Formats: sequence, C-alpha cells, structure tokens
Amino acid sequence: MASPDLLFNLRNLFYLGAYQAAINNSDVPGLDADAAAERDAIVFRSYVALGSYQLVISEIDSSAATSLQAVKLLALYLSGDKESAIVSLKEWLSDSAVGSNPVLRLIAGIIFMHEQDYTEALKHTHSGGTLDLHALNVQIFIKMHRSDYAEKQLKIMQQIDEDHTLTQLANAWLDIAVGGSKIREAYLIFQDFAEKYPMTGMVLNGKAVCCMHMGSFDEAETLLLEALNKDAKDPETLANLIVCNLHLGKPSSRYLSQLKLSHPDHVLVKRAVSAEDNFERALQAVA
Amino acid sequence: MLTKFETKSNRVKGLSFHPRRPWILASLHSGVIQMWDYRMGTLLDRFDEHDGPVRGVHFHATQPLFVSGGDDYKIKVWNYKTHRCLFTLHGHLDYIRTVQFHHEYPWIVSASDDQTIRIWNWQSRTCVAVLTGHNHYVMCASFHPKEDLVVSASLDQTVRVWDIGALRKKTVSPADDILRLTQMNTDLFGGVDAVVKYVLEGHDRGVNWASFHPTLPLIVSGADDRQVKLWRMNDTKAWEVDTLRGHMNNVSCVMFHAKQDIIVSNSEDKSIRIWDATKRTGIQTFRREHDRFWILSAHPEMNLLAAGHDSGMIVFKLERERPAFSVSGDTVFYVKDRFLRFFEFTTQKEVQLAPIRRPGSVSLNQSPKTLSYSPTENAVLICSDVDGGSYELYIVPKDSAGRADYLQDAKKGAGGSAVFVARNRFAVLEKSSNQVLVKNLKNEIVKKSPLPIATDAIYYAGTGNLLCKAEDRVTIFDLQQRLILGELQAPSVKYVVWSSDMESVALLSKHAVVIANKKLVHRCTLHETIRVKSGAWDENGVFIYTTLNHIKYCLPNGDSGIIKTLDVPIYITRVIGNNIFCLDRDGKNKLVTVDASEYIFKLALLRKRYDHVMSMIKNSQLCGQAVISYLQQKGFPEVALHFVKDEKTRFNLALESGNIQIAVASAKEIDDKDHWYRLGIEALRQGNVGIVEYAYQRTKNFERLAFLYLITGYMDKVGFMCKIAGQNNNLMGQFHNALYLGDALKRVEILENAGQLPLAYITATTHGLTEIADRLAAELGENIPSLPEGKARSLLIPPAPLTASGDWPLLRVMHGIFEGGLDATGKAELEEDDEAAGADWGDEDLDMVDASEAMANGGDGFDAEEGEANEEDGEEGGWDLEDLELPPEAETPKNAGNARSAVFVAPPPGMPVSLIWTQKSSLAGEHAAAGNFDTAMRLLSRQLGIKNFAPLKPLFVDLHMGSHSYLRALATAPIIPIAVEKGWSESASPNVRGPPALVFTFPQMEDRLKAAYKATTDGKFPEALRQFLSILHTIPLIVVDSRREVDEVKELIEIVREYVLGLRMELKRKELRDDVNRQQELAAYFTNCKLQRVHMRLVLGSAMGLCYKQKNFATAEHFARMLLENNPNEAQARRARQVQQQCSGKKDSSELNYDYRNPFVVCGATYVPIYRGQKDVSCPYCGSRFVPSIEGQLCTICELAVVGADASGLLCSPTQSR
Repeated sequence: MASPDLLFNLRNLFYLGAYQAAINNSDVPGLDADAAAERDAIVFRSYVALGSYQLVISEIDSSAATSLQAVKLLALYLSGDKESAIVSLKEWLSDSAVGSNPVLRLIAGIIFMHEQDYTEALKHTHSGGTLDLHALNVQIFIKMHRSDYAEKQLKIMQQIDEDHTLTQLANAWLDIAVGGSKIREAYLIFQDFAEKYPMTGMVLNGKAVCCMHMGSFDEAETLLLEALNKDAKDPETLANLIVCNLHLGKPSSRYLSQLKLSHPDHVLVKRAVSAEDNFERALQAVA
Repeated sequence: MLTKFETKSNRVKGLSFHPRRPWILASLHSGVIQMWDYRMGTLLDRFDEHDGPVRGVHFHATQPLFVSGGDDYKIKVWNYKTHRCLFTLHGHLDYIRTVQFHHEYPWIVSASDDQTIRIWNWQSRTCVAVLTGHNHYVMCASFHPKEDLVVSASLDQTVRVWDIGALRKKTVSPADDILRLTQMNTDLFGGVDAVVKYVLEGHDRGVNWASFHPTLPLIVSGADDRQVKLWRMNDTKAWEVDTLRGHMNNVSCVMFHAKQDIIVSNSEDKSIRIWDATKRTGIQTFRREHDRFWILSAHPEMNLLAAGHDSGMIVFKLERERPAFSVSGDTVFYVKDRFLRFFEFTTQKEVQLAPIRRPGSVSLNQSPKTLSYSPTENAVLICSDVDGGSYELYIVPKDSAGRADYLQDAKKGAGGSAVFVARNRFAVLEKSSNQVLVKNLKNEIVKKSPLPIATDAIYYAGTGNLLCKAEDRVTIFDLQQRLILGELQAPSVKYVVWSSDMESVALLSKHAVVIANKKLVHRCTLHETIRVKSGAWDENGVFIYTTLNHIKYCLPNGDSGIIKTLDVPIYITRVIGNNIFCLDRDGKNKLVTVDASEYIFKLALLRKRYDHVMSMIKNSQLCGQAVISYLQQKGFPEVALHFVKDEKTRFNLALESGNIQIAVASAKEIDDKDHWYRLGIEALRQGNVGIVEYAYQRTKNFERLAFLYLITGYMDKVGFMCKIAGQNNNLMGQFHNALYLGDALKRVEILENAGQLPLAYITATTHGLTEIADRLAAELGENIPSLPEGKARSLLIPPAPLTASGDWPLLRVMHGIFEGGLDATGKAELEEDDEAAGADWGDEDLDMVDASEAMANGGDGFDAEEGEANEEDGEEGGWDLEDLELPPEAETPKNAGNARSAVFVAPPPGMPVSLIWTQKSSLAGEHAAAGNFDTAMRLLSRQLGIKNFAPLKPLFVDLHMGSHSYLRALATAPIIPIAVEKGWSESASPNVRGPPALVFTFPQMEDRLKAAYKATTDGKFPEALRQFLSILHTIPLIVVDSRREVDEVKELIEIVREYVLGLRMELKRKELRDDVNRQQELAAYFTNCKLQRVHMRLVLGSAMGLCYKQKNFATAEHFARMLLENNPNEAQARRARQVQQQCSGKKDSSELNYDYRNPFVVCGATYVPIYRGQKDVSCPYCGSRFVPSIEGQLCTICELAVVGADASGLLCSPTQSR
C-alpha cells in the first residue's frame, strides 16, 4: 500500500485556520526531506497567518530553502516592507533556477493579490502545479468575478484529489460565490469539516456566511458568537458579525469600533470609511 | 445454506421439529430416539425402548407427545415430559417406515413394509383404518395439511393418494354405534373408510417419498430412479407435471418449502438439492463428503430445515432472515418485501420510500444484506450477494416519500460490501485486489485506496474512515491519510454498532460482543453461548443487544445481564429510555418496553453518580440479595451497607468498607466478643485508638488494653490498669503493668505481696532500693539469692512513646451522599468522633487544595498573559497591515512582461455583483447597498424630491456595509467579500444574481412603529417623534416584494406623517407658555390628525381640558362629544360627561382659529388650518400639506424632501416598474 500521508493532519489544520494547532502539531516523526520542507513551509506560513512576521523574518536565514525564503518574503511584505519585498520577489521570480518553485509562485500570487494586481498574480499562478496554487487561482478568479474560470480551476483540483480538504474548501468558496442552490452545498461542506475536524473560526465563519446568504441571520449570529468565543479578535468574525447584526436590526457599532481598532485596514472598515467619503462626494455631485 | 446446528450420531432415519420449543427429535438406526435443543446445542433426552432401527418419529402439534415407529413393528406413543412410553400400538407385520400425527384428529398414520398404511386412533389406542393397495413396501405416508387426504409412496413405483373423508365423517358423528359396527365389519374386508383416489405412475423404480404442497394441489415425489417428480391433481384426476433430474443416486426424501416457491430434496448421493418449483430448475446443491442423506424435515412455523444422514443430522436455514437496515438519527431505513422503507421512532410512522430491483437470477440469499444511508443526500446503498457481491445505489428525492410507484434506475456495481464514508462518498470493497474504491453519487470512482489488511467486509467508522474486518481482527483505516487509526483482535466480526456520539463501538460476532472505543482500544468482551443477533447503544452508554432468545445489556465495564427473554429473534434498531425499537424477521417494526432500572442502577454506581443511585434506591424496589451481592462483588460495600438491616451482615460490610462508625454501632447491637475483637483489629489497622480502646474495654481484654495504653503513652491509664489488675488479683497483669510503668518499687511490692521474696529482693537490689533490699534480706534470712557479679546494671524503663496523642492521623473520610441521605438514623455520636479524628490532616488537606488552586490560578494568570502577548502580536500585525493602504500608484507596472505572461493572458475581470444590482434596479436602497450613493441620491431626488440627504447618511453607510459578507479563503491571501442576496431558496439556480438583501426591511419598520406608539402612549413625545422620524427616513430605502406591500408602505408613510405633525405641534404647544389661545389651537389641531384611538382619546382629553379651563365651552363641549364617540374608558367618559354638562349651551369666551365644522388640514410648517378650498402645496415624499408660501422650502415633517418639488413618486418594489 502507499505510504501513509504523514502531513495530512498538519495540512488540514493549516487550511482550516487552526494555525496555532498546526504549529503545535508540527513535530511529525519519520518525514523524508521533501515532506520536512513542506512541513516547515506550512509552519512558517502558519506563523505568518498568526501575524508573527518578525519571528518568521528572523528565523529564516539566507541558507534556508527557496520555499522558506518565499514565506519570508511574504512576512516581509505583510510586515510593511512592501517595496523591498516586491523587488526581491521579482528578482527571485526571474531567476530560472528557483522561479518555478511552487511555494514562491504561491507567495507571489498572494502578494500581487494584495496589490490587487490580479493579472500579475495570475501570471505566476495560472500554470498551477500544486493544490495550493490552484486554490489560489480559484480565489483570484472569484475576486475577479470570473466564476467560470474559477470553476475550471476547481475541476482540475477535483481531478487531482477530489476529497482533499483544499479542494473541498475551494469548492465551498466557489459555491458561495456563485450562490443560489450551491450555497446549501457549501454549507454542507463546512458542516462536514465541523464534524470531522476540530471546530475553527474559519469553519464557523464559513457556515455563518452560508447562513447569511440563505437568509437565516439568526443562525449565522449564533455561529459567529461561537466563533467570537474562540477568538474575540478575529477580523472576519467581527466583520461578519457586524453585517449580521445590521441585518437583524441589532446595534453593531461596538463590533465596528473593535474592528476599526484592531484591523483598520479590513475590507469592511475600508468600506465604511469609503462609504462616508463617497456620501459626501455624492452629495456634492447631486447638489 | 446456513447451518445452525449439527450432531454426530448413528444414522438418522427420522426427524421431527417441535412446533414451539427449539427442540428436534432424531430417531436413529441404532434404535435410540434423541431429543435435542438445537438452539443451545444440547441433548435434552434420549428414549431407548425400540428394538432395532427407528425410522419414523413425529411430535404432536399441541400435546406433550410424540410417536415413533421402528423395525420392531411397534408404534410407540411417548410423553416427553414424563419421559415415558405411554403405550404401544401393535398391528403392522413388518418394519414401520413413517409415523405421523394428524394435525386435528387423534390419529396417527403409519406406513409399513407389510404393504399397508394404517390409521390409528391414539386416544382409543386402536387401529381405525388399514389402507391396502400397494404391492410393495410402503416407504412413506402422510396426511394432507388441510384436506382429508393421505399420500403414500411405495417401492411398487407408485404414489397413491387416499381419500379418508369417510373416516373423518365417522369420527365427526360417532353417535350411530350400530352403523359404526357394520362399518367395522367392512373395515375388516378391505375398508371403505379410505379409498384410493389416484394412483400416480411414472417413476421407473421404487418411490421413497411423496409429500403434499402446503396450499396448492401439488405432490412431489422422489424415487430410486434418481428423479423428483412433480404431480398436480384436481377433483377428478392427477397427472405428472414435470421431472427434476439431477440427483446421482436414490432420492430419499423430498418436500415443498412452506414459505418459498422451492422444492428441497435429498438423496443417497450425499447431496441436498434446492429446486425452483415454478421454473423447475436446480438452484443450489449442498454436498457432504461421506454421508448419504436419508430424511428431511421442515419446521412447522419457522424457517428451519433439518436433514438426517449417515453420521448425524444438521439443522439449517436456506436464507438469511435478517432484514437489511440502517439507523440514522430518528429513523431506521430498511428493506421489506422489495421496498425501501423508513420508520420514525418518535412518531412511530412507517413510510414506503421506493421499490428496489428484483435480482435477475433466481437463487438463494439474493436479498439485501446490508444497507447504508446518507442523510444529507438521502441516498441509500443496498448490498447483496447477487453476482458474488454487488451493491445498488438509490437516491431518493425528498418529496417522493410515500409514492410507491416511483421507480428509478439504481446505479449498480460489484463489490463485497459498500458503505457511505462521507455525505456524498461511498467506499466499495474490491476483494480481489484488496482495495476500496471511493465513489461519488454518480457512481464514478474518485479514488482507489489499498487496504492494510486482507479485508472481507468494510463498515462505517466516522467520516472518511473505514472499519475493515479481516478473519481475526478489525482495523480502522483513514482513507485520506491512509493511516491505521486503530486495530483490535476480534475474530469473525459480523456486525458493527457505533454509539451515537461515535465514541464507542460494539463488534458483534457469532458468540461474542466486543466493546471498544473509537480508536479500537479494547474495553471488554462478552461471550455468549447463544448466537448474538443485534444491538444498539442507549443514551447512557449502555450497550443493549439481543441473542436468539434474550435482550441483554452490557455496561461500560463489561458487566452484563439479561433484561428480557424473547420468543422470536429480533433485531434492535434503537433504544430510547425503556423503549427498545426493533425489527422482526418479517421486517415489521416493533416496540419492546423493558425495565431498565437494573442496568441504569448499575451504571449509576459505576459512574459514581450516587445521587442517582440514592434516588433509585429510594424510589424503586431494587433491594434484593442479588443487588447486595453485586454491590459487594463490585467493591461497593459502602453502598451495600445501606441496603442491609441485618446487623451481622451490616457489621461485615462496614468492616469491609472501613466504615468504623457503622461497625461500632453494629458491634454494639450484636455485642459479642468475636465482633468486638474484629472491630478492635480493624480500628487498630486504621489507627483509631479510641475505638480500639473501646473494643478492648468491651471485651475486658486488659492485657491488650494495657499494652495499647503503653504504646500510645497513656501512662496514667497504665497505672489504672495496674490497679484494676491488683483488684482482680491478677498478679501477672499487675506485674506487667508495673514493668510497663517502669516502677521498680511497685514491682518489688508486687513480688513481695506474691510471696516471691527472692525475686523481690533481687529486683530491689538491682534497682538500688537498698532499704527494701535490706528489709527483704532480713526476712529471707539465709536464703538470700546471690547476685551475678561483674555485670553492669541498667534500669528496665520502657521507652517513651513517640505519639502520645489520641488517634492516629486519619485522612479525611469522604462523607458520601449515603451517610446523609440514607443513614439519617445514623448513630450520631460516632460521627463527631470521626470529625475530630479527621481534623489534623483534614486541614492540611485543604491547604494543599488551596495551594494547587493557587497554582492553577497562577497558571491561568500565566496563560492569560501569554494570550495577551499573542493578542498584542496580532494587533501589531493588524497595524502593520495598515501599510497596505499605500496608494495604488505603488503598484508594480502591469506590463512588466516576462516569458510566462506571453503565453498566458489573464481573463478580464468579470462584473461585480454590486454592479449588476445597480444596472437592473431603479430602487434607491439597492443602489445605496451597492455603494452607488450618487445614483441612489439622484433616484431619491427624482422619485421623492428629496434634497436633504444628511439624515440618510448613516442609513446609506449601513446599507453598504451590510451588503457583503466576508469569506476567509487561503491563509494570508486577501479575503473575499461576497454579496449578500435576497430571496434565497433551495432551488435557486447558481450564477443568477438576485437583488441585494438590504439591512432595512418592512417588518422592522412595523416593529419600530409599535415602539413609537408605545412612546406616544407613555407621553414621551421627543422619543416618539424620534422613532417616527426614523421610520420616515428609512422608508425611502426600503424594498418590498409585492404590490400589496407597496400599498402598506404608502399607508405607513401617512400614518407616520400624521403623528410627526401632531407631535411637532404638541411639542410646540409645550414651548408656548403665554399664548393660551395658540395653545388651544395647537391642541385642537392635534385632534385633527389621524391617530390611533388610544392616542386620539388622550389628545381629545387634553384639548378638552385646555379649552374648558380657558372657558371656551363650546369647543370644549365639542371635544367632550368627540371623546365620548371614541370609546373612552370609565374615567375619561365621566370627565367628558361632566364637561358636557357644564358646557352645554355656553359659548366660547375667546375666538380660536378652529372651525371643526369645516374640514381642514394643518400646515406642516406654520401649523395653521388650511380649510377645504384654500390653496396649498404638499411634500412630494410624505405628502404633508403646507400653505403656498412654504413652497420650495424643506419639508418640516419628513425633513427630506422639498415642498412642492416635482417627483415621480415612491418606488419601493421591483413590481412597480413592471
């Protein structure tokens, strides 16, 4: 029989947003070199996801593997040193020896996505190669409102491994993006995760988003409050809770101030801020 | 063939099942008749009175009788209860081949080698008919199950059917004795009571067996020509229908199956063959290596067969009778009569879901074997042995329940077993390659996974996991990780039952139940002598299972017991409290109610839920020797203690559980030496010195007592003991005590008193008591003993005791719930003792707890700090991220082309959902949600003439903020905002965008209206005004679905407008202090607004009062009248009537600008009446009216629109634009 997939658990924890658990469970014995490299990449990406950028920057020295260097670039970028991060990123990408490293390309995709330069992002990710890259493609296409392309990417993922957590997740993202009856399927996918793995804020948020789109804001609120119990500062939980409370006609200003304080650059905060400017501008335009 | 029981013996020639009990008679060639319990597998009895082989044997249907016939020409009737042969029927002149009771009359039919068949009356013990006609050995004869017929087979190559109608008539009306006598005569001459009806010729050799079909006019026969023939008969004739060829040697016995359309035959060729009775083809053959078959027998009620052969017999079943079922939540899905059905436990409703396919080939055991159900997809997998193992997948539409006509094409596949492993995935076992195929609901292979062990069946084991069963063990295998999660040695598991929380699993094999946890860690194994059939977990974690004849329980620790005895096997599907739901062999759902208290009690004990235990003890009659011995056995003497009244048992239990208080109490009651002694030992063991002392005192065991005092340091008490010993003339004791005390003087004195002068002298001298020594020396005179020379002397003083305090330190004894509750009578003085004893350590104990608590707190604190640190980190991260908001100019140039981009062209971005919203819609709310505030404003301006948008700002922002939810996708990549759409339904097609779900809805407005009404009633006018205004401000952004609702919205605007106007005037009135006339006018105008009655009454009351006070009696009277018309309450009405009386006929004292006879509206800005016919302008949104001079100003009512502006009107539903 094929050898057991030792990183299975670790990957799942990471994809489902249990970053600290992923880090804590990263000590997997009996890994070969490739698996160990993948493990390290996941661990450092978890740290990045937790916001420990400096840790990542200082831990990864120049002798580390390309994939880890790429993660370091991401940490660098997210820690605010955008320009130098992009410069070195481009340098790396143009290097034929390492330019095709899937993790590097993935990170490139993520960084350019942050830059909202989807064309550039896709340039590096479109050829795929790993499920991560395809999943990122799905996400980029969803952001570009091109669910037709996203679906093609998902098909590829399903051919590779239909039951993979990432495939299922990407499926759920796409289902939510296209809406309609697919929302129910997305909900069931998140429900499956909830049954099979430890409940994470990400899964709860996923379920809650589905509930909101199905019009059951009450249930969404329950789920989000549960997520808030797990992590009181999770930006998505707060954002979704604000949206949910708005729809329920409940006061949401406290959560908004909380989100403004902790994540001033969150899409929702930006949206709120831009809405006010927008309003003033519109007033002028109409008047 | 499913063999249920097998015996080894001499050749079996005759067999008979008991109609009710699990017994079978086997008559042997050796002359012995055996009675077996085939369920337990034991020989119950043997009857050995025949001389030579016994070929025929038969149980009576109702009486405790059986009949046997043998080669000794004798027919014997036995009572198996008394184990006696009741009588013997003589008459046959040769070997007897078969004997059979009639199902109704007291008759026995026998076939014999003397070429006759005889019918006997076993009550009168006479032969009532002799059937002659065969001209060779008659090999078998049997009654028809319903009609007055007998069929016989003979070596003369014929089968004969005999009509015994005349015999029956004679028996039914036996009154005519004379007639009977004449008939008896005719009997002697060949008989007319039984006449040959048909002679069936066709076999080429002697016929060994013939038997009737249980319901149809058919006969089947088997002969030495190796053929089985099927015959049909009607009223007038009988004819051969078909011949079944296949046996290689003489067919010894053949019969129709009672329940299935098959024929079973056996032969000397060592085989049993099963034939399809309709198609007349062989279905199956079972062979034995060395044994020729001689006889077959079918159970009259159950689906069991037995066959006798050269070296014993077998009891077997042709097909499984277990219905395929699967429990899911509140329902059990199962297959019955070719239909998939489900049954709801709570409602006990049974629904037929869908028909399932009939297997193509006719052979045995093709019915569904297992069933697996996926609740979310409503899909069912049915596995059977068809084609060497195959499955069918049915996806049942939710709405088809109950529609039996619905038949779909099932998706099929081959595979040993198939189960769902996830919502939309199932695994199929491919035995040949030992791998599982994971398939989706389209029956497409998604994945293949090799299995770690040689698997012959798979079962569900949680999402994505499989429980694989091999010959000798089971493993749980994770299909995704390809990891073995658990393994357990458990031979030939047949069924797997998971608890509802998936934490525990029960593995059922033929004779064992193994309980394990979800990682297959073994918990306990139960062995059963009788086959285990089924099981289910109850909600407390007790496993309830059935054997063939019992319902039993198994506690988590492996204790088991019988709950109920069963008559027929059942298959448990679900256990809810005392109710056990099950399926029987016919696929019927049944509910068995059992008394669960015993195992619940034991479970509570096991879990140390003593409160529960106690309430059970109090409320039910559980007490009994069995319970006490169980408790004692299981190490709960302290619990058992509370059941027992008998003091001796109580004492023993108390000692066993170390409960010294109760032991003391019991010892007091019993008060004998032995018990005190044992109490003393236990108390000493525990170090309870007080009790030890007490026990020794009670037994007057002074030596022990004294020694106890010595070692515990009570020297004064030792001295006291010394005195007592002296009083009792116990010299030895006295001396001992003196020795303990180290009192040399005393010792000398004792010795002296005892007359042991030399000893006294030596003692005195040794201890340097020279005075006494001298005196003693004098008394002794010459007999002074010599003292050893040159030895150093030392004082004989006992060492000081280490602990000179009372009891030894004891650990605090837990005061169980039992002490308080059950033992309320409880022997109180001793409990105090106990507490005192516990004190020393008890405190320290507590300290330790505190300390550990402190530790825990400390730990918490630490955690919290760490958490905070993390959170700070997070915040930092958050702030860092802010830098992202750098202006987009920082973006890298888009056309930084390299090789890769040349090939790949990224697709242009699609259209955001919010853009789609604005394109389709001319509703302001939807534009605002999409963030297009300018178009929203233009729409509002055009539709409603709104110019002042300031009050709408928070509403716009909320709409926009609530328009998207946020989905975190890949870690650290930007999150995806998803547009929230309205009107979702299960059937909505994807990719078709709906309108936005707005955060403001019409129902919300209705709620706000109620709140505003309430504020008005309570007189909180500013608050009420604020509420009404908020409604008025929100309405322009509302979207409703139907025309009707549009009208309701418009109505709402009017209602709110009236209130806003009225409240504004009321507030204005309150501001005016001096201008009483204006005050009255405003109050009067308020009454002109359209209000709720309750408010109208209040307004009228206030206006009436105001006018009355100002002596404007006519107006006041008018208000009073209006008030009375508005259903006032008692007080209001009284006041109104008073005002009416006071005012009637009087005139107003001052002129008011208020003419109630002339209809008017009030200007929303100046609050003056605009009488009918006068010119006015109105607000394009709220419709308030104003005097013409106000035109062009902002409406003071709604604060939004410009009075008199051009507007197309409210648009708040997509239905309006159609």
